[in-house]
Amino acid sequence: MSSISGLVAVLLTVLQWAGRGLPSPVRPICDPRVLDRFIMEARDTETALRGCKAGCGVTGTFVVPLTNVDFVVLETKDTEEQALEVQSGLFLFGQALGAVRESVSRAAVKSLIDNNKSNIHSLGQVLRSLHIKDLSLSPAPAVGDSATRKVSSLSELLRVHTNFLRGKVRLLLTNAPACQQNST
Amino acid sequence: MTNNNLNKLLVFCVLFCAQKTSIVHGAQALETKVALLLHAEPENPKCFAEGMSDLTCFWEEDEERAGSADQYSFIYTYQNENSSECSVTALPAAGGKRLYFCRLSQTQLFVPLDIRVFRDDLLIHNRSLFIEVVFLLDPPANLTLTSTGMQGQLKASWLPPSLKYMGDSMMYEVSYAMAGSHIGKVEAVQASSELILRGLQSGTKYKVRIRVKLDGISYSGYWSAWTDPVLMETMPGDLDPLIVSLSLIISLVLTLLSLLVLMSHRRFLLKKIWPIIPTPESKFQGLFKVYGGDFQEWLGHSTGGLWLRPTYFYSEEFPAPLEVLSEVSLGPVLPSSALPPKASEALGEEEDEDKKLKRVDPALMEGWRETPQEHWLMDQLRAIHKHPAPWTQSSLLESHDAYVTLNAQNHSVEEPLDDILEETLPLQVLFASGRTSSESRSDLGSVQQSSGSGRLSSQSSFEYPNHTWPSKGPGYTYMAVADSGVSMDYSPMSSNKIDDIGKGVIYTNEYKNEIPAHRRPIGTPIHFAF
Repeated sequence: MSSISGLVAVLLTVLQWAGRGLPSPVRPICDPRVLDRFIMEARDTETALRGCKAGCGVTGTFVVPLTNVDFVVLETKDTEEQALEVQSGLFLFGQALGAVRESVSRAAVKSLIDNNKSNIHSLGQVLRSLHIKDLSLSPAPAVGDSATRKVSSLSELLRVHTNFLRGKVRLLLTNAPACQQNST
Repeated sequence: MTNNNLNKLLVFCVLFCAQKTSIVHGAQALETKVALLLHAEPENPKCFAEGMSDLTCFWEEDEERAGSADQYSFIYTYQNENSSECSVTALPAAGGKRLYFCRLSQTQLFVPLDIRVFRDDLLIHNRSLFIEVVFLLDPPANLTLTSTGMQGQLKASWLPPSLKYMGDSMMYEVSYAMAGSHIGKVEAVQASSELILRGLQSGTKYKVRIRVKLDGISYSGYWSAWTDPVLMETMPGDLDPLIVSLSLIISLVLTLLSLLVLMSHRRFLLKKIWPIIPTPESKFQGLFKVYGGDFQEWLGHSTGGLWLRPTYFYSEEFPAPLEVLSEVSLGPVLPSSALPPKASEALGEEEDEDKKLKRVDPALMEGWRETPQEHWLMDQLRAIHKHPAPWTQSSLLESHDAYVTLNAQNHSVEEPLDDILEETLPLQVLFASGRTSSESRSDLGSVQQSSGSGRLSSQSSFEYPNHTWPSKGPGYTYMAVADSGVSMDYSPMSSNKIDDIGKGVIYTNEYKNEIPAHRRPIGTPIHFAF
């Protein structure tokens, strides 16, 4: 048994090393329509579950990032800072949606939540293609609590999720240096 | 120093004027937007964002109920933040209204904003909105129309509103119509600064205008105002090669068809356009070619042509039987007894004749003598029958009808010619020479001439209005000319009124000429020499 576990450990190490060694996608994904599709799907989910009775059986509070964007302030931030905000926020949403999926019982609701979760994962890939570190999978959020707030309902969670994607995530992708080079 | 001051003053004036112009422009733009929102937005206060960091809210009040701007307070609160207040300004509006404005210079997007309006601590308006969905942009600038170099196309290009992060979220509507027309088309385009308009008419002036709106995924808002229309004429039309080739083919086919039709009817058309002048050459063989038109020569040399001649004259005439009603008995040769039987025969046949007459062409009837004439004649005949005295010519000739008097002649009648001439001549020839009057000829077309000592003369009764018949010598045979209109002079004493006969006078009741009275073949007087 110890030999088998040892083999598995070696195997995982090798895979992780291989994973790290994998080169990031060569071509940056700058098409705004990619994110637009995610935004529309998030909005559709929000609309569909707005009329959910008793919050679709979801209880509890969820930590979500702040979504407000001040362009004047944004001008002063650099891409790194923006990227940090986006990635921590995506992480928080991933967590919250995972928790929601466990709570709901209806299959239709589950499939919608699954879709949004997979979109968040895809966004991480997009960010990586723009040479932005994907910190969504990191165990700890890189930003402080000041940049977060709490919500207590599924509809509020989904609304914040939509606003976050429309605002901060989109601005980051629009202003990504990799995409700026392509457009000029 | 004075110059410097003047220069400064000048610069100041220019700047002031420019600013004033821009202020005027800005005021006009604001007025337009206010009007747009009053129409499009039902909620109060009506708010719109013009750029990335501003928000303008306003509401309307009637002049009568309106208060001063100080009475109003505009409180706004972002999510998870403290409230803030905006200063209210008032502006007069058309239609007895007043507008109250509040303008924020720094805004947060993608987060809910609560707005509350108080008038003297009384909440009059309450609204929650996202600023990124209430954009009302300025219309695109520098709308230009250019030609693409192709038929029916125009290229429209413009300058997008200068919003840094929203260029790819803008969508445009291009409206184009023919100049002077109100019916136009609209084309939408997204995230672009030019559009090619296709399917336009060649050589036509078009007016184009454009407006802008955010696409609604991340940002949204209201349609901007239309730009001022820009006019441009499309390229002049060019002949479509397909149409030209089709037209050529069709015209070729039509030409061929018309040629075919013309060729198939060429004879008919030739006759119509260039009618052949009829010549009698075919009827007179050799008359023109050999004898040069000398008829007498031709007559002399032709064999049997003399007798054949009348056939050509009257080739279309129908023969008709003729019965002589009466004749003048000038000599013992003419048996008077011939008349009564003739008369009785005529009388007896009178009724039949009437029937036969009625069968005849009504045109003929018109040319006939009136019925009273017949009645008179019949009366005369009856009188004669009753009193069979030798009558004179005069009593007989009181009739208006023309008829024939026969004289005994020493000429011989050439029998064989009868057959030839029977069916052609409309002439009435009554001969009693050497024969009994019963052999009077009833066939039209029997023109007989004698050679030698025979003399023929024809006279019509028209010549003698008094109905007196000149008593000629017994050497004359009178021949009545038929109604066919041919005037033939058979003697020097030819009547001048022979032509009248051609007008279709029908003689006696027994006359069964079927030739229409009005027909008159072309003929020239032919002189016979004996």
